[in-house]
Amino acid sequence: MAILNLLFEHRDVEGIGNIDVWEANGGYEGVRKAAALEPQVIVDEIKTSGLRGRGGAGFPTWIKWNGLPKNYDAPHYVLCNADEGEPGTFKDRELILKIPHLLIEGMILAGFATYSKVGYVYIRGEYVEPAWQLRKAIDQAYAKGYLGKNILGTGRDFDIYIHMGAGSYECGEESALMSSLMGERGNPRLKFPHAPLPTVAGVWQAPTLINNVETYCAAAWIIKHSGEEYAKYGTEKSKGTKIMSVSGHVARTGNYEIEMGTPLMELLNMAGGVKDGVLKAVIPGGSSVQIMRPEQCEKINLDYESCGANGTLLGSGGFMVFNDKTDIVQLMRRTSQFYMHESCGKCTPCREGTRWLFKILDRIASGNGQKGDVELLLDVCSQIDGRSYCGLGDAAAWPIVGAIKAFRSEFDYWIEHKRSPIGNTFVPPVVEAVNPVLALTSV
Amino acid sequence: MSDRSLTQTEVSLNPLSSERVNITIDGISLSVPKGENVIEAALNAGIDIPYFCYHPRLSKGDAANCRMCLVEVASTAPDGSVRKMPKPQTACTLPAAEGMIIDTNTEKINKDRKGVLEFLLINHPLDCPVCDRGGECPLQNNTLYYGASASRFTEEKRHYPKAYPLSAQVVLDRERCIQCARCTRFTDDISGDAQLGLLKRGSDVEVGTFAHTSFNSKFSGNVIELCPVGALTSRTYRFKSRPWDLMTQKSICSKCSNGCNIKLDYRMDEVLRVNARLNEDVNEEWTCDRGKFGHDYISSPDRLKSPLMRKDGKFVEVSWHQAYSLLADKLRAAGTNCGAIAGGRTTNESVYLLQKLFREILGSNNLDCRLDSNPLPASDPLFKKSLQTGMGNKIADLEKMKTIMVIGSDLQDEQPILFLRVRKAWRFKGAKVVYVSDHLTTDSTAVSDFASVNLIYQPGSEITVLKDLENALARVLSANTADSEPPAQLNTQPSEATGLSNNDIHLAASLLAKGEITIIAGKSVSQHSQYVELYQSLTNLLASTNSEGNLNIPVHECNSLGTMDMGMLPGSGPGFTKCAGGMGTAEMLQASADGNLQVLWVMGADPVQNFHNNELAVRGIENCPFLVVSELTLTETAKRADLVLPAVSIAEQEGTFTSCEGRVQKLFKAFEPVGSSKPDWLIVAELSAILGAKNLYFTFNDVLQSISKEVPGYEKINPGTIGDQGIFRTVPAAG
Amino acid sequence: MIQNGINTLADSYITHPVAQPEDKMQFSEEAVAELEEIISHYPERKAACLPALWIAQREYGGHLTPAAIREVATRLGTSQTEVEGVATFYTMYNLRPRGRHHLEVCTCLTCAVMGAYDVVHALEHALDISIGETTADGEFTLSEAECLNYCGNATVVQVGDHYFPDISPSNCLNLVEELRKSEKYTPALLADSLVKIQTPGASLKGGGSFKAEEI
Repeated sequence: MAILNLLFEHRDVEGIGNIDVWEANGGYEGVRKAAALEPQVIVDEIKTSGLRGRGGAGFPTWIKWNGLPKNYDAPHYVLCNADEGEPGTFKDRELILKIPHLLIEGMILAGFATYSKVGYVYIRGEYVEPAWQLRKAIDQAYAKGYLGKNILGTGRDFDIYIHMGAGSYECGEESALMSSLMGERGNPRLKFPHAPLPTVAGVWQAPTLINNVETYCAAAWIIKHSGEEYAKYGTEKSKGTKIMSVSGHVARTGNYEIEMGTPLMELLNMAGGVKDGVLKAVIPGGSSVQIMRPEQCEKINLDYESCGANGTLLGSGGFMVFNDKTDIVQLMRRTSQFYMHESCGKCTPCREGTRWLFKILDRIASGNGQKGDVELLLDVCSQIDGRSYCGLGDAAAWPIVGAIKAFRSEFDYWIEHKRSPIGNTFVPPVVEAVNPVLALTSV
Repeated sequence: MSDRSLTQTEVSLNPLSSERVNITIDGISLSVPKGENVIEAALNAGIDIPYFCYHPRLSKGDAANCRMCLVEVASTAPDGSVRKMPKPQTACTLPAAEGMIIDTNTEKINKDRKGVLEFLLINHPLDCPVCDRGGECPLQNNTLYYGASASRFTEEKRHYPKAYPLSAQVVLDRERCIQCARCTRFTDDISGDAQLGLLKRGSDVEVGTFAHTSFNSKFSGNVIELCPVGALTSRTYRFKSRPWDLMTQKSICSKCSNGCNIKLDYRMDEVLRVNARLNEDVNEEWTCDRGKFGHDYISSPDRLKSPLMRKDGKFVEVSWHQAYSLLADKLRAAGTNCGAIAGGRTTNESVYLLQKLFREILGSNNLDCRLDSNPLPASDPLFKKSLQTGMGNKIADLEKMKTIMVIGSDLQDEQPILFLRVRKAWRFKGAKVVYVSDHLTTDSTAVSDFASVNLIYQPGSEITVLKDLENALARVLSANTADSEPPAQLNTQPSEATGLSNNDIHLAASLLAKGEITIIAGKSVSQHSQYVELYQSLTNLLASTNSEGNLNIPVHECNSLGTMDMGMLPGSGPGFTKCAGGMGTAEMLQASADGNLQVLWVMGADPVQNFHNNELAVRGIENCPFLVVSELTLTETAKRADLVLPAVSIAEQEGTFTSCEGRVQKLFKAFEPVGSSKPDWLIVAELSAILGAKNLYFTFNDVLQSISKEVPGYEKINPGTIGDQGIFRTVPAAG
Repeated sequence: MIQNGINTLADSYITHPVAQPEDKMQFSEEAVAELEEIISHYPERKAACLPALWIAQREYGGHLTPAAIREVATRLGTSQTEVEGVATFYTMYNLRPRGRHHLEVCTCLTCAVMGAYDVVHALEHALDISIGETTADGEFTLSEAECLNYCGNATVVQVGDHYFPDISPSNCLNLVEELRKSEKYTPALLADSLVKIQTPGASLKGGGSFKAEEI
């Protein structure tokens, strides 16, 4: 098990973003194939492949695709979640930037399979360059008749619109993404069982399919080749490949498409091993998942089950490597700052809890920690985890609980000695204590 | 401006399924409608679940953010196995499903509640001693019952400037806000002006208006009551009292004819604030700002405290004995040459006794209560027919209609509670609204914001508009082309005259053609010089859609309808019975101006200010040989009187009002009258006794029982039946 | 601006007089056409709120004034407060003027570990401003950004519609010099890019800092 470039097969071909080059490399074959297929056949093919959602949760893709009403009576929508915001993850960026047509293919197929006529790609506002590539690719696909009315003479219509975000991690949460797409604040919405599933009443209360960029890309590969072919790769329950975004203290950072089940250490070696020191910790799936010590890393294979069994998650594949000069407490302080900044403020535990977590970690990491602060952190985390409106609260609590579990001694060291056990490798800016009074004072 | 009707899943008011499911809450087996929110099922069963953001009348789509109502949930599979959900769930949004097992009082849940309260109190200042909400604060109460005794948060709390004035009535304290979004949902869901919103994000989230502009909603006062903390407080009540020092009395709002149930909160015989009182069939739990902030007149220092008699051009205080003697002498001397004008804000009892005094003892039929211009004489059968009913529908029934047409009315201003019902029908019940008017208002919320069709016609062309609409409706109904294109020719006149397009008229007609329609007509219809033609058109529209009787021409003052019911009209006795004719308001004023009316009694009315013909009113009032006015304060009319009798406000008397929908509701007495003032009915009763009346009345109950016996339509209304939510009077057949 | 230890997402309004109803609408004809095109992508006008704010940010010279928000609300037929709520929710809308170049340094996890704060301090020193401030000549605004998701090339700096990867304390001064000379990557061009990206066919013309042949 090693690098396995399925989605990335043509990544490095010169000019692959151009539709002619793409077609020359077998592009849109899947769409031509699917044009002749019944929608249910497409869904069944995805089912055969065992594909699971690549956004982080790993939900079986075919169940979503199968859940929409099987007729054109009312509008359905296909949404692509390209609001890649999870710290450590940059796979969608490369997929859209380099091979945008693969995503377009995947969405067209999803449109066929779910009886939808309209698709939206929700791209985070910062991704201007990738979005331009997608714009060009969509324009080309329209010109060639892969999008628009009566695609390839099938009588089926499908339009793709790009919707740019404007700076909010929360909008990567599927229901918040829908709020944002509808022009509202990026607040999450009620979910099942409190409200119907998105496949029943999603965006604009219409049946909605929402998947990650990588999922659509994998679906396009699956239809072009076959579900059986895809299912040959990976482990029993985690099929196919996963793109891991490797960053941090490694020799060769970048996106690596690996077969599911590849040992964690193998990926680390592929990336050239740890740089400037020895391995201290790995966060395997983005900032929201639990940090792993080297001895735990040895045991982990990169698939949903093995990660789960070892107390972490595969998540979105944001693989961050830290060497022995990394201060875990500072790292967690910065993590909690991120979640405080990105909390939408809708629900109490996340709004107040993330800020409190940051304040506690900030005081520990500035030498003002008190005895009992670690227990307080754990307790605050337990008050957020599972109590918040959406997953952001959980995601804010898990890494801190994980870090305390794995590196408890560093927290204790900071509290006892008022300094870093490492020496200062990164110095956060001094936080302004005063609260600048808002404009209302003038009234 | 919030212009979206809600879809089912976002609403907590969705019609519940008739199917029932069995659920268990804390070991108690319940059978509840499928889909009912668990919190409602629990509260109905007497199981307490604490909450802040949940509110039964606000959409649930934006609820579940305070996380206070978390419960543990397990489901029972058909095979009997129980599967527990891993995370606690919010009871306020969870629909009940068969076999659901809910635990509200486990160790885990108690810890969660402590956690949520600890989070909420991180930033909430503990300035309870000076907070208006202290003592009636859900946050205080929930902290007492469910919170921890100490906080572990040691950093500095968030600070904002205190007491930011959102409007002339409402103050915002952002430090106290717990971001429950009740107020913002109110302006979205209920009032519709969407002026309050959440700004910023994360722990910076705050409630605000656009660019710090004024919160000028007509219903802004409600957010004060909705706020579960002291973040939104009233500028008039602020720092006036502690809630536990207040006495409360049930009352009826006197500011318009809708008959809102209110509570008067008072201390030391001073009304400090007005809150809404729940009445599902009238105002639900809302008030408008006029009702909430407009009752300061009750405790005004200008209130009259003793009778005033004019001596040498100046008022001098006199005793009731002197006042009665003078008035009795004048009335005896005048014989039948006297008259009375009563406004629409005196109680049924007062008016009833007043007309009895004039008709039975003095033998005068010069009685009227109308100050508006009237297109019809009171003796006209159509006047009786259309005003006796006032409203063909009950307020609560408006929300059951499919299409509601509002014509000639700034409804949010004229009939605020009817406006809220119409909006509820549209937003929560899927009704379609047609708005017909000669202008659009600049108010922050209006029917035109959510109407499917706005027919804004050229002023003066209303007859043509309705004729066009009638024709279009007939065409739609006969051709059964409700959704098709409008025919080329359907206007009786070219559209330049009305300014309306064929399309709009056709669209409106198509909506009306769907049946179950109701029409609400406002002042510009009821005071129109061609009222008869308009009335005919409106009834035709209703008749052609099998909705006869659904015409609503609501009256405007709090007891306008009751005053007419009691017979305060020339030629129309109690219950609209036919009786000898007499002079109406205009004739009386004219006679008075000419010196032909010896005594004019004005009760609870101010013709100088409010009569449609001001010049005549001033002449009539100033030239009256003997003018007696019973009033609360020295109004412009009272200033010109020869004798002023101090009357009492709604807070100081018992009495009944008949609202625009015909609901007779009771005022309860809160405190003793100011000075030596007396209720109008008592003044009339005592004077009647002096003038030799056979029937004597000593209490409010005596009068009400007499009304019950003698006024057709009021047979069922007596002190035993009226209760605190009121009952409908029946409409006697037009005669 | 930093508040409660947070870079405030949406700085409060400064100095703007409250917009008046009679304020003129300022969208150009082309902007209105672009807006109507984008609105046609959605079943509801309101859904175009985010793109409409981008158009407004461009048309009002790089930041949103209350008048701009009012114009968006009017054109979409929605409530002004709601649009302000949206504008203050997302971090990329500027509620106050920014420098000609807005340097947003990613200081999130990987970048922080790889020395992003050193870059911040080097830039602070070079520009003689603190984070969150704008230089006196109006050329540069310096901000911290949350993860820009280019972690493989830490530290990454976003300037307008472009990412500059692999920035270190040593090469960040070159970046500053390069930007001083550049006409590209301004806040208004960022807004322009984001509007054009949502307009079908725009790849043939380009937009923002991008020409068609570069796309």
